[in-house]
Amino acid sequence: MSTATTNQVAKESFGSKDSKLSVLGFFMALPPILVLGTFIGLPIGLAFFLSLGYTGGLNEVISIIGQDVRARDGKLFTLQAYQDVIKDPRFLGDLRTTLLVSLFATILVLFFSIGIGLIQRLRGGKLSSLLTALSLTPLFIPVVISAWALYTFYGGAGLYQTLLKSFGFDVPQITSTVVAIVIGSVWTSLPFAILMITSGFQSIPNALIEAAQDAGAGIVTIIRTVMLPLAFIPIVIVATFTSIGVMGSFTIPFFLGPNQPTMFGVEITNFFTAYNRPQQSIVMAFIVFLAASGIAVMYIWANFRSAKESGRV
Amino acid sequence: MANEVQPLNLHTKSWSVKIILAIFSILMLILVVGPLVWLAVHAFATEWKFPSYKPTGLTLEWFRKVFEVQALKEAMKSSFIISPIVVLVSAVICLPAAYASARYNYWGRRTFLIMMFSANAFPKIGLFATIATLYYFLNLMGTIVGVIIVQVLGTIIYMTWIPAAAFASVPKNLEEAARDAGASKFRVFRTITLRMAMPGILVAMVMSFIYAFDEAQGTFLVGAPNIYTMPTAMYAIVETYPIQVTAVFSILLTIPSVLLIGLARKHIIGGQLAEGFQIK
Repeated sequence: MSTATTNQVAKESFGSKDSKLSVLGFFMALPPILVLGTFIGLPIGLAFFLSLGYTGGLNEVISIIGQDVRARDGKLFTLQAYQDVIKDPRFLGDLRTTLLVSLFATILVLFFSIGIGLIQRLRGGKLSSLLTALSLTPLFIPVVISAWALYTFYGGAGLYQTLLKSFGFDVPQITSTVVAIVIGSVWTSLPFAILMITSGFQSIPNALIEAAQDAGAGIVTIIRTVMLPLAFIPIVIVATFTSIGVMGSFTIPFFLGPNQPTMFGVEITNFFTAYNRPQQSIVMAFIVFLAASGIAVMYIWANFRSAKESGRV
Repeated sequence: MANEVQPLNLHTKSWSVKIILAIFSILMLILVVGPLVWLAVHAFATEWKFPSYKPTGLTLEWFRKVFEVQALKEAMKSSFIISPIVVLVSAVICLPAAYASARYNYWGRRTFLIMMFSANAFPKIGLFATIATLYYFLNLMGTIVGVIIVQVLGTIIYMTWIPAAAFASVPKNLEEAARDAGASKFRVFRTITLRMAMPGILVAMVMSFIYAFDEAQGTFLVGAPNIYTMPTAMYAIVETYPIQVTAVFSILLTIPSVLLIGLARKHIIGGQLAEGFQIK
């Protein structure tokens, strides 16, 4: 499929102000938005009020079933549930783990995807095809399987330990540490990053790079001043999407991470199911939302820009 | 899109760069393929003693064993019932929207788009926890319908975005020419628009199926302990069964994704997905 034609067609239809507003189009576009509104928007709103102690109405059932639910008792709102969570000795460790893992995983994903993208764009050939294929492999593998495969590989009886032992090294294992969570997060995030970054680099015309070369620019200068700035939007999307994804992950830290402190993904699930303390679980979810909010805004902005550039809005 | 531009073929003469590239590639090979092969080989091992590079013996016994475990058979059944339903429901909800976004201008166009991005900008596990809260009221906890809805939510982005790009790429003048030749609106849609957009729609369906089939976090939170699909069953069996059983189950669980992505590979790597993947 050619992007050029897509853009042209789209621009023709929506670029001009006089294109007529269609009622049929509105109603055709409505269903997915309604579904998202009912099962994402509404629950977020309800859960927010639940976290503030509103235990009536649609929140009544969960408030009866759950333990330690803090009600507002006639006041406008109560922050007791937030206090429960923040005063918990596990909280700071969990927060630090969540943020650090997201940060390091994002940096590594950017490093690998930009590196492989550059090799593919500038060098081409068999090596770059191999690297791209390898980094897309996790796309084929369900996350649960990836997590479990990584666990058996790096775990006590895995190849990692076997190799090191045969060379005479006796190192502590890395499963059940944050290192393993970072490795797993990079593994699961890489395919999307590679698809995004390579398509960003592909959209830079050869002529532009060659012109810079003719003007005497070295390869490092070209990468720094031409290629990275032109692929800025895809890079922002990769960075924001990866960090949001890692922050909200459960499977990877569940299989590969330590018991304590762990990431909020595991803690939220534990509080909801194992400990039956849904309100505290919801509070943690909102703390994660808050931590991710700046990144989320950047993510939405970058996607909107990208949609605009391809003429979709 | 991804394969159209020729790489620049800038080959370096410096040996140090070549060696770094080679080491990097070998490292990637070990880090990506290593864990998968390591787990897969366990499926055929009678026993594996640390620190040995190979199992004590080989067997196919574990494949029979997996099908003897009732819980795993149930999980396979649920997975193969739920995933196709998710794809169909998602297609019914989203395909008209995809067509509309490619062909019509309507009130709220931008707002709709931003809402879709926003739904994707929340860390997933937090979303699932809030959804589960509503599910208690709607009595959807631990039900098939509840699991289907959670999975449909994740597929909406594929089902609107990828087909929208496919519909938009059908040239309008082709449709107009057919109309001029006397074809009815419906016939033009069926024989031209739909047919030309089909690869994109199929890629969206493949991606949605794989998403639904592999989805574990949300399914576990709202489905367990009543409903286990294949991925959520993994959570339970890794603690209770020998590693060989989990290895066999992993292979079974990976087959559909590999088959489907293999079939649609050309389109996925080629561009349909890169287009649609922007907001995953």
